[in-house]
Amino acid sequence: MTVGSKLKQTLASLRGAESVLRTYANQTQKKENKKVYQEAVQVSEEIIYSLEERLKQLEFQEPQYKGF
Amino acid sequence: MPQWLIVLIQSLIVFSGILLFMRLMGKKSIIHVPPFFVVVYIAIGVIAALLSVNIINVVHGIIALSVWILIPIAASFTAMRNKWFHDLLIGKETVFIKEGKIMEENLLKERYTPEELLGQLRAKKVFDLANVEFAVLEPNGEVNAMLKADKSPVTPHYLGEKVPPQSEARTVILDGKIMDEPLATLGLNRQWLETELDKLGISPENIFVGQVNSFGEMYVDLFDDAIQMTKPKVRELLYATLEKVKADLYTFALDTADEKVKAIYYRDAEKLEQLLIKLRPYLLH
Repeated sequence: MTVGSKLKQTLASLRGAESVLRTYANQTQKKENKKVYQEAVQVSEEIIYSLEERLKQLEFQEPQYKGF
Repeated sequence: MPQWLIVLIQSLIVFSGILLFMRLMGKKSIIHVPPFFVVVYIAIGVIAALLSVNIINVVHGIIALSVWILIPIAASFTAMRNKWFHDLLIGKETVFIKEGKIMEENLLKERYTPEELLGQLRAKKVFDLANVEFAVLEPNGEVNAMLKADKSPVTPHYLGEKVPPQSEARTVILDGKIMDEPLATLGLNRQWLETELDKLGISPENIFVGQVNSFGEMYVDLFDDAIQMTKPKVRELLYATLEKVKADLYTFALDTADEKVKAIYYRDAEKLEQLLIKLRPYLLH
């Protein structure tokens, strides 16, 4: 497996985790819990962004692996 | 009117009257009321029984019953408002053990022998007098004991463990029927519940009792006891997924040759590490 596809897999897992965290942030009623989950969503989004940037770099360097 | 019909009618009337009275009297459990009320209840029971079988004069019976019912209720209300009256009617607590030492004069005052005190402590699962810090005799005759701090059960606070605040689990399905009110207090609705049940592959009619906890996890007990239900694992899976992503990031950092990219991967992995530490008590408990 290439670095690109491994990165895509990790990105997909992280996106999935982020959506569950977002659901919990919405669903929970205690303020303290809400804050923690929202923070978690924030951190996940930052990492997702940074991974997407890296992915763009990789695709630029090796255009044959571009896509999705 | 034939005698048996009179008895039947009187029994039904007295029965309904007493039922109403019990609801008026409130929810204080019979075990925990002061002795005075026990006598009241017995008197009411006896008069009601006699009235129902037509042994005493109906008018006399109703008068007597009214006295025994209305005066205790009035007394309860007055006791609620007036502290002095409350102490007169129901009494105050008596301290039996203070700072680990038995107050012998108080035991004498209440005509309690030491054996009786020990027996009452054992009823509260306290078998070692040395463990008791404070014990009090309640007006209803119960002895309640507080254990010494180092003999009390351990709480997460003492262990320095962070535990996320939780509220009680609400029962949302009873006897196959969905209860909308508890669902609403959790901020959920029927559609959410039906989606969750679809995920489990059961329909509400098969569920005897269904509860939802404050994390939004469902627990169901089915009519058919042969089927095994699995524990909800969503939160553990979430934690595991995040850990895997973190491990992947470390791997990427090791795989890449570019120093700048390495640094970014390490930074992100560190962020996830911190997040996981924070999320641990919320997801893994």
